[in-house]
This record gives sequence, C-alpha cells and structure tokens, in this order.
Amino acid sequence: MNYLIIEGYKDAAEKFSEESGLHTSVDLGSIEERMKIRYAVQTGDIKAAIERVNDLNPDLLDTDPRLYFHLQQQHLIELIRMGKAEEALEFAQEELAPHGEEHPELLRELEKTMALLAFDVSGSGSPLCDLLDFSHRQKTANELNAALLAAHSQPKEPKLPALLQLLAWTQEQLDEKAQYPRINNIVSAVLTDPSAPSSQPENTSA
Amino acid sequence: MSTISVTHSNYVRLLGSSDPDEVYGALRTIKNNVIGSSTKKTLYIDLQIIPAVSALLTAHSTSVASRVQATAIVGSLARSRDSGAKAAAALASQGVVGALVGQLAENSDERLVEASERALNALLEHGETLSAAVAAATEGALVEQVLAIIDTADTETDLGIHSHARVELAVLIIGRLCVSEARQYMVANTGVIDALVRLLLAPKAHFRLQTATLRALAALSYENAEICAALGAVQGGSVAAAVLRLARATDATLRLHACEVAANLCRMRAVSSRDVQSVAVPALVRLVREADGVAAVQALGYLCHEDTDVQAVARSSGAIDALVARLKAAWSTEEGDFGDPVRGAREAKAAFLALGTVVSTNEECRRAAVDAGAFAHIVRALGHKDAGVRAAACLCARYIVRSVAICRTHAPESGILKPLLSLLHDSNSDVQATAAATLVNLLSDFSPLRVDALKQGLLPTLVQLLEAPAAPVRRNALWAVRNVLIKIDEDTRREVVEGVGIERLLSLSEPGADPAMHEHAVGALRNIVAESTWGIDRLFAARGVPRTLDLLAQLVSQSSAQSDRSVLVHSLYLVNNVAARSDARCCDIAGHQQLMKAVVSHTSSSVSEVAIAALWCINSIASHQREDDSRASLHAPALRRLGVARILSRLLRNQGLPLDVRDRVMSCQDYFPEIGRGSGEDDVEIDEEL
Repeated sequence: MNYLIIEGYKDAAEKFSEESGLHTSVDLGSIEERMKIRYAVQTGDIKAAIERVNDLNPDLLDTDPRLYFHLQQQHLIELIRMGKAEEALEFAQEELAPHGEEHPELLRELEKTMALLAFDVSGSGSPLCDLLDFSHRQKTANELNAALLAAHSQPKEPKLPALLQLLAWTQEQLDEKAQYPRINNIVSAVLTDPSAPSSQPENTSA
Repeated sequence: MSTISVTHSNYVRLLGSSDPDEVYGALRTIKNNVIGSSTKKTLYIDLQIIPAVSALLTAHSTSVASRVQATAIVGSLARSRDSGAKAAAALASQGVVGALVGQLAENSDERLVEASERALNALLEHGETLSAAVAAATEGALVEQVLAIIDTADTETDLGIHSHARVELAVLIIGRLCVSEARQYMVANTGVIDALVRLLLAPKAHFRLQTATLRALAALSYENAEICAALGAVQGGSVAAAVLRLARATDATLRLHACEVAANLCRMRAVSSRDVQSVAVPALVRLVREADGVAAVQALGYLCHEDTDVQAVARSSGAIDALVARLKAAWSTEEGDFGDPVRGAREAKAAFLALGTVVSTNEECRRAAVDAGAFAHIVRALGHKDAGVRAAACLCARYIVRSVAICRTHAPESGILKPLLSLLHDSNSDVQATAAATLVNLLSDFSPLRVDALKQGLLPTLVQLLEAPAAPVRRNALWAVRNVLIKIDEDTRREVVEGVGIERLLSLSEPGADPAMHEHAVGALRNIVAESTWGIDRLFAARGVPRTLDLLAQLVSQSSAQSDRSVLVHSLYLVNNVAARSDARCCDIAGHQQLMKAVVSHTSSSVSEVAIAALWCINSIASHQREDDSRASLHAPALRRLGVARILSRLLRNQGLPLDVRDRVMSCQDYFPEIGRGSGEDDVEIDEEL
C-alpha cells in the first residue's frame, strides 16, 4: 500500500485497500492531484504543474526556492526545446535571473541551462544534452513529488524498493559466509532449503 | 510603465470588478505570479495589491473560492525575503489578521481554514505583525480557534493528511505567538500546554507534527522558568524524557527542535543538566557538523551560555572544531563568482557568537579554540565588510583573551592588535564597543600587547571614545583606560592621567554621574593612586584635599546593594591605596568623620568582598606609626573611638565568619593588642576612655 500511494497508483491503491481490507489515512484524492502534477512535469507543461502545486499547497514553492528554481529551469528548457529562443531569453531575464540573484548558489545551474541556447538542440552532439533528455523531466518530477509528499507528512520514498535492495545486499553478504534459507525468487519469496543441492541463484536485485 | 507592469496592474484593477468570476480569475493569476518570486511580490506590492486584497478579505460578500486565493496571496506576500515584514505590517494594519482569524471558525470551509492557517503562520513570522492594537482585538480569538483545531487531533489513530496539516499549522501558530514573556503566559493560560504535551507524547504522531509541537514548546518555554518548571513536572518528567528521546531522532529538524526545548529546560534548571549534557550537547554538535543553516549553531551557543560544565561537554563532543569548521565553510560560501555573501556573513556571525559562548568561562575551551586556529578566523573577520561579523569576531576574541595564558602567549603572535585598534574607529558603534571590550583584557598588566597598543597611539583614541555618543563605547573605553593603569610605570601613568584628565575622572566618579562610566571611573582612580605617590598628589591637587575627601566619603557611604557593590569596593580600595602610601593624606582620612564612620560600618558587611576592602582600609590606616620611640599605631586611638576594636572582637567571635574575612580581621588585630586579652565589650569601654 505504501508503494502504491507514494508512487501514485491511485486505482491500484483503492483496489488493494478494498481487497485486502487495509485502510490508509492518506486521502486517495490527493494521490490523483499529485499524479496530475507529476504528469504535467513529465509532459513538459510546467506552468500547469506550478498552478496545481500552488492550489494544493501554496507554501511549498515559497519556502523551497531550489525546487521553484528547478521548475522554472525546466520551463526554460522546454522553451529552448521548442525553439522559442526569444521567449526563453525573456523568461530567463524576467523570472530566473532575479531568483538567481537572491540565491547565488543556483546561478551555476542557470548558467549551464542558458548555455543550451548556444547549441543545436535537435542534434545529439550538445554537451548539455542531459538537460534535454526525458530523464531530466523525470528528475524534476521526482523532486517535486518528494517535496509534496514531505509537505503532507508522507515518506518521500516507498519502502519496498529499499527493502528489496537491502534483501539483495544482505543475501550477497551472507552468500560469502554461510549457508542459509535463501530467497531466490522475489516474486514467490519462497525460502530455499540450504541443505538442498545448490542451483544458480536468480537475480534478486530490485 | 512597461508592458509587463501594465498587464499586472490590470490584474490588480480587476480585483475591484463587480463580476465574481473576474475577481476569482485575477486572484488566481496573481497568486501564481507571486508564489516563489520575490520580484513579483515587490511589483504587486507597488501596484497596491495589499489594500485590494485586504478589502476582499474583510468584505462579507467575497466568495469562499476567492477568499482561498486572496488568503494564499497574503501568505505569499508575507513570505517575501525583502519586503515581507513591511507587507505583513501593512496587511495587519488593514485588518487582515482579524479576517483570517474569522476564517478559522469551526464551520468554515476546510480549504479556507488551511489557507488561513498558512497565511497566519507567514504573517506571524514577523513579530511586529500583531501590534498592540491588533493583538488586543484578535489574540484571544486566535488562540481559541487554534486550540479548537488542535483539539480535533485524535492522537490515538493516524490523522488524515489534511487534518494533519491543519493541526500542524495550528501548532506552529501557537509557537509564533510566543514572542514575549507576556505572550507566553497568555498562551499558556489557555491550557495549551496540555494540548501540546498530548501531541508530543502521542504514539502515532508524524514527525512533522512532532517537529511543529517541539517548535511551539521551544518558543513557549524560552527563558521562562515558570513554564519550563511546569513542562519539567508533567507526568513525572515524561516531557523531558520524550524531548531527549527525540533529540536522538533520525530527522535533523526534529533533533534540532528537541535540542532547543532541552536547552530551555536545562537553562531554567527544570531538568537534570547531566541528562541534557549527555544527549542534547552531542546531538547539537552533530547538527552543527552536518546540518545547513544557523539554528543548530545558535542553539548550541544558547545551551553553553555561562555554564562551564556544559561548555566542557561541548568541547569534548567536538563543538569547537565543528564551529571553526563552520567558519571555514562560511568563508567558502562567500567566495567565488557564485558565492552568497549574505548567507556567508550570517553563518560566520552565528559561528563566532556560539564559539564565544562556548569559551566564555572555560579555560580549556579557550585553549582548544586557539589550537583549532580560531585566531586566524578572528583576524580575518575583523576586516569583514559586514559589521555584524566584525562585532561577533570581537566578542569571540574578547572571551578567548579572558585567559591570562593566551593573553601572554598566543594573542601577541596572532596579529589581532592592529585590526582591533582600527575597529575603535569603526563606523558602527556596536563594533567600536565590542572592540574596546576586547582591548580591556589585552591591556591588562600581564599582556605584552599593552605596550604595543600604547606605542600605536591607543591613548588618544581611547580619550576620544570617552566622548562617544554610544554609552557602551564610552564605558568600554574607560574600562580600557582603567586596565591600562594597572601596575604601570610612572612615566606612562603620568601620560595616561594627563591624557584622560583627572578632573574628568573625578566628575565621572561623583554619585549620580553617568552610571555606565561610574564604576570604571572610580576603578581608574583606584589604579592611579595604587603604589604611586605622584598619583595621590595629583588626585588631591585637582580639587583640593577637603573636596576630594568629601567625594571619597560620599563614595564609601553607598550601600553594598548588588547594583552599587563594585563602585563601593573600588571606593574602599581607593581610600586604602591613599592611606597606605601617604602619611599626610592618611591623617586627613583618619580625621574625616563621615568617611571613617562609613569605612568602619562596612567592616561588618555581610558581603565578604566589601568587608575585606573595609578591613584593608582599617589595616592601612592603623599601620602608620607615631614618630616617637613607642612606634605605636598613630591612628589606632581614633579607630578605637569609632568602635573598631569592639567590631574586630565581635567578628573574631563569629564562628561563621568566612575564612578570608577572618584572615583580614586577624591582620588588623596586630594594631589592637587588647583584642586578644578580653571580651569585646570590655574593650569598648577602654576604647571610649581613651
């Protein structure tokens, strides 16, 4: 349930709650709002994302200047991606530069983003192509999602991936030192008999 | 006006529209424009957004949807880094606080309640927001509404996230209200302590709610012994136990606020200092190492204030190295093309103040600070462009050079003198005052820097500062003069006395003179006449013997109340120094009835240092011998007539007399041999016959 809520699978969370009888204190409606915000960032509609965030929690972007800057930076990237160089310059001058002046630690990132204007964004040869990659949108979306979760007293990350990573690491350590009832298949999670003939362990990494 | 400004001014204009949809649309746009952007906040403030939005919030006809948007704008404007305080004051003066409190009412829309709480939190961040007039009208209602929200928290089960946020915001408001002792009592009297304790001890409270609760408790208990005692006594110390448990929590913010509460309870002696030392001090030192911001640094400084034991624990927990590392980090923050000078200065200032506090009374801590390289940072900071950093560095240096060993060895090699002397001419009076205070220790007789300072022209500067407009500057300059005069060679003594002016010192010594200067003026006179016949002659020559004796009589006739005690002690030693060194002036003193009666009366003082000083006077006066063959005490008969022998006898019979006072009484006894032979009362009669 923790994983479904944090990762924003509202329908699955509702179904799981119904079938398993597990109740959650989390307002499932807020998951939907959070996912809409995430989707807006992932599709490059930063303005819509900001408006939704301000409706959900008007304090968030006022109290987290780094997050606000990253959203504005993403908007600048989208403008550059669309070839709206003039609009991008105007936006950087009006919105990002004053913010950078107030928070000089962000200026380096702004400078790097502005450098995008010097390269052909359609080609893959740009040394700054990571900014234009989908993964950058994803990074911004994740940062925003974590901030929204933290602001609503929710853990920033689901417990499940961390637990699986811990399981994999622990088994790896134990493999070198002892024989023990190992979980070879994390889907079935069956403990194997250590006295049984050994077989090649399946990949257990999360 | 630019096109952009015209567009924004149109939105503000639309707020006066009769069409509710237009108003809502404009509010939403403005809200999205101002959130996150200080520039836009300032722009809209200039476009008169405050009166427009205040009018909407105070009008009954405004829809809930528009109110939610307007309330969010209020919160955002109050959060402006540059103009937030001004905006908050303007909003408060237009009745916005009352309107927001009204929106918290029980049957209000939940979104509106949450938005109002957020806005109130932002407004109350500026202490002056609730000015007396506004406070009187809204404080009671605000606390009542906020408590009602806190009471909705069911601590037995999980809270829904929006309920959680509302309770968290309500708790934060409680903390924000506690900006003065009167406000702390007002809030505490509403029963809020029980509500906060219930939240703190709730088994399922989320860390954000616990953090908010600790922040509120920290504000409520800050420097308030009564509230700390009440918190310390809850359920047999369960609050203190919970606070110390949370001081070990994983979340850094939670740890920080737990440590703040622990520091308050410890400073007010509401919990065992040992428990706090073992948990909160290491936790704070860890936060100083790991966390950003200055809150942990300030909390550590506060906890260590004037407490040698806590300072020792802080040192062994690595506080000094951590604070010096913060200084290094502060310089790095300032430097480079992307440096942040404002943040760097803030961090440096906090680190210097905390370091100063940690070394203020503990000698080992001072040595550790010097070993960690504190002097290099201090010298660098003395030339900093931020006055706050310069003053903080001076303060830190002042506490470090309280160590005689450091004054003798490390200070002369540190290069601190030259920049410190230049700060006596600083444009900022706080810097001047702290620089002069630091010099006070460096000018003592054991400091090699005294001679260097005088060679570098210190004296004319100090004389100039004696006329400074700021009282702390004048006081510290005179204090420095007083210390320069301790055990100084005769030539320099004359130079200093003529430079400062004996008449000036006499005027400042008169009862009723500038209270900031009085003690140090008398102290300076005491040092001028110490072991110097020239000094005594100069003192009495200025106004003539009778007037000077009258002044001395006035000075020693003061009470030994705490406020006058230092002046009285200096005055008694001034009399003693004159009496010990000059036969002629001693005769004058012995013949001055008012002066002698006052001195004799202080020999029975319950304050040891006063009694000892008075007994020294008796000793010095009695030590002058007749010039005949008997070599008997010249003034002992006069002292007997004043009942000195009887007093000394009584003091010797007092089994509870402090040992240092008894020693002094016994040294006086040599001049009154009859004391050892019989009881005090008999001696009195003999004295009186004589």
